[in-house]
Amino acid sequence: MSLKGFILRRTIYIVPVMIGITLMNFTLINVAPGDPVLVRLGLIKCENPDCYNAAYNKEAIEMGLLDNDFYTIPWLSRYVDFLSGIANFDLGRSWYYTQAGEGIPISQIIKEKAPYTITLNVLSFVLSLLLAGAIGVVSATRQNSFWDRSLTIAMLLGYSMPLFWLAKLIMLVSFYLFDFTGVANKNAFRKPLFLNPEYYKFLILPTLALTLGGLVFMARLVRSQLLEILRQDYITTAKAKGLDNRAVIYKHAFRNGLLPIVTIIGSSLPGLLAGSVMVESVFGWPGLGTVFLEAALFRDFPLLMAINTIFPLMFLIARLLTDITYVFIDPRIKY
Amino acid sequence: MATVEKDQIELDGELIDEATLKEIDAMKGAGQWSIVWRRLKKDKMGMFGLYIVIFLILMAITSWLLLMYDNWLTNAELIFGNPENPLSLNNLYVELWFPGMEKTSPLVLFNHPEYSFSDQVKLPPSITHPFGTDGIGQDLFSRMFFGSTVSLALGFIGQMMTVVIGTVLGSLAGYYGGLIDDIVQRAVELLYSMPGFILIIFIIVLFEDVNIPGGRYAVVVIFLSLISWGGVALIVRSNFFSLKQQDFVEAEKALGASDMRIIFKHILPNSLAPLIIIITLGIAGTIFLFAALAFYGFGDPNAVSWGDDLNKWQNSLVEYPWMPMFPAMMIFFTVLGFNILGDALRDALDPRLKD
Repeated sequence: MSLKGFILRRTIYIVPVMIGITLMNFTLINVAPGDPVLVRLGLIKCENPDCYNAAYNKEAIEMGLLDNDFYTIPWLSRYVDFLSGIANFDLGRSWYYTQAGEGIPISQIIKEKAPYTITLNVLSFVLSLLLAGAIGVVSATRQNSFWDRSLTIAMLLGYSMPLFWLAKLIMLVSFYLFDFTGVANKNAFRKPLFLNPEYYKFLILPTLALTLGGLVFMARLVRSQLLEILRQDYITTAKAKGLDNRAVIYKHAFRNGLLPIVTIIGSSLPGLLAGSVMVESVFGWPGLGTVFLEAALFRDFPLLMAINTIFPLMFLIARLLTDITYVFIDPRIKY
Repeated sequence: MATVEKDQIELDGELIDEATLKEIDAMKGAGQWSIVWRRLKKDKMGMFGLYIVIFLILMAITSWLLLMYDNWLTNAELIFGNPENPLSLNNLYVELWFPGMEKTSPLVLFNHPEYSFSDQVKLPPSITHPFGTDGIGQDLFSRMFFGSTVSLALGFIGQMMTVVIGTVLGSLAGYYGGLIDDIVQRAVELLYSMPGFILIIFIIVLFEDVNIPGGRYAVVVIFLSLISWGGVALIVRSNFFSLKQQDFVEAEKALGASDMRIIFKHILPNSLAPLIIIITLGIAGTIFLFAALAFYGFGDPNAVSWGDDLNKWQNSLVEYPWMPMFPAMMIFFTVLGFNILGDALRDALDPRLKD
């Protein structure tokens, strides 16, 4: 099969997975105890039960739980409504983020916040990949040297350090050294974003934290993969025919080591996204992660549902991209 | 057995010295686990990790026993305590008295974790409070000691439940294949597409009102095991695929053994090695996850655990660095110990993977 057909098939494959995910989230929200209408109503003040009931019914109709004749709308039709809403990029209105007494449409919130998350994640992902590659090569080619040992121990320590605490420590160190905590303020996000020097200044520390978080995970992987490959027979052959070390490592070893590395990195992307949630919230970075944590703390169910749909979608797209990169890394793979 | 002259043994042109010979002699007839233990003992880093883990487990068990049953020693009538008088349940101090000390002022080792010294708030580390006191005057050293119970128990129980679910589903999928395998694989794919940290927060928010014994953390542990069994199941499944073709399974089938007997008595013990590695590394991951949940405010504020202490004092980092630093250090060392031990176990159980 051609590459185009493969990409098409994988893209279509995202649809049933997404339906499964939304179905799971929807079921969870429905079997959860407690009445979401009560959460939404909050501490409403009413003198008599009639006023309370009227408020309750009005809220329930607005939330789509009751129809206009006060009948409960069945679960399945609500799910279908939800799905058709997603298909039209209409994710409902937020409960917590309000403007002029009305919830802000969630699609608008996500459109606003997604660029922040994407810049941070892509930047730190690329950086950590490059650094992990460099560290892995240094460690693997000079196995058991001083550099290898100290790098391995540093990676182990970093691997065991909780990411949120690493972010806090980076903040502390930066505060003592530069008197700059990196907690984002309004100045940093003045439009136009990409011409604003303040934006890049505030981008540094979150990127550093997230890069370190991904780096410690990937560098261990690159090192053990390279070590395994350097022991193969064809490496001995390459050395025997008189190639210099550089060519052996980068032309022969590295390219063959990439495939398993890409596989594992592809499957660990949800972990990296979770890491971005942690780092964003420590630095007050106004991305999707911070929005998600705030929505969770303030029990903003529609927004939670929306982000729980967006994150898997982002992950599935990223995994599709990693699958496509296989083809370019390994010419043996034909679709 | 024929004896060989020592200087006659050559391997790759190198003479084997006496120590290696003794080693080979000792390995003769040794079981798999004693060989693994020998390999582990040689790994200095691994043993360091093992010591950390043993120390933490002992600490968790001791602190739990002290907190629950310390008045067995002082008052036999209060074995199960008097629920109406909270002070009868626990002593407020763990004291140590050596001959020669004054009887009225013995050495106070630990205070009750909930006991606060109202006049000793925000004290830096000193001799009376080795880790200092926190913002409401609780001794941090005692809180770290007693917090180990909850922190470690959550990691153990969460990981064990995950592994049990994953093993059962993975072995069924691997042994029977077909439809069961398809269903399990699709479910794993679904659960793997969700970032676990985000899904578990979503679930905590939805199910916070559930009242089951054990409080909020019990709900989290149950759902954690329900959503994170995928990795275990995939590994067990692939192990079963390769093992069920082997001769010993054929032989067992010919003898008329039931499927359950083959799965649980024959194949599963043979795929124990990867399970042990998963459990050890997974405990580190689960402890880290619970710390992260507590850090972002989804823990149980009434529980005495490292993550909740870290959450409480995380914003005092600049002014009172010892308050969040010690809980964070405890989490760090726990995760480090389990990670080192897990790596060493992997090298010992499967030397082919060793660098």
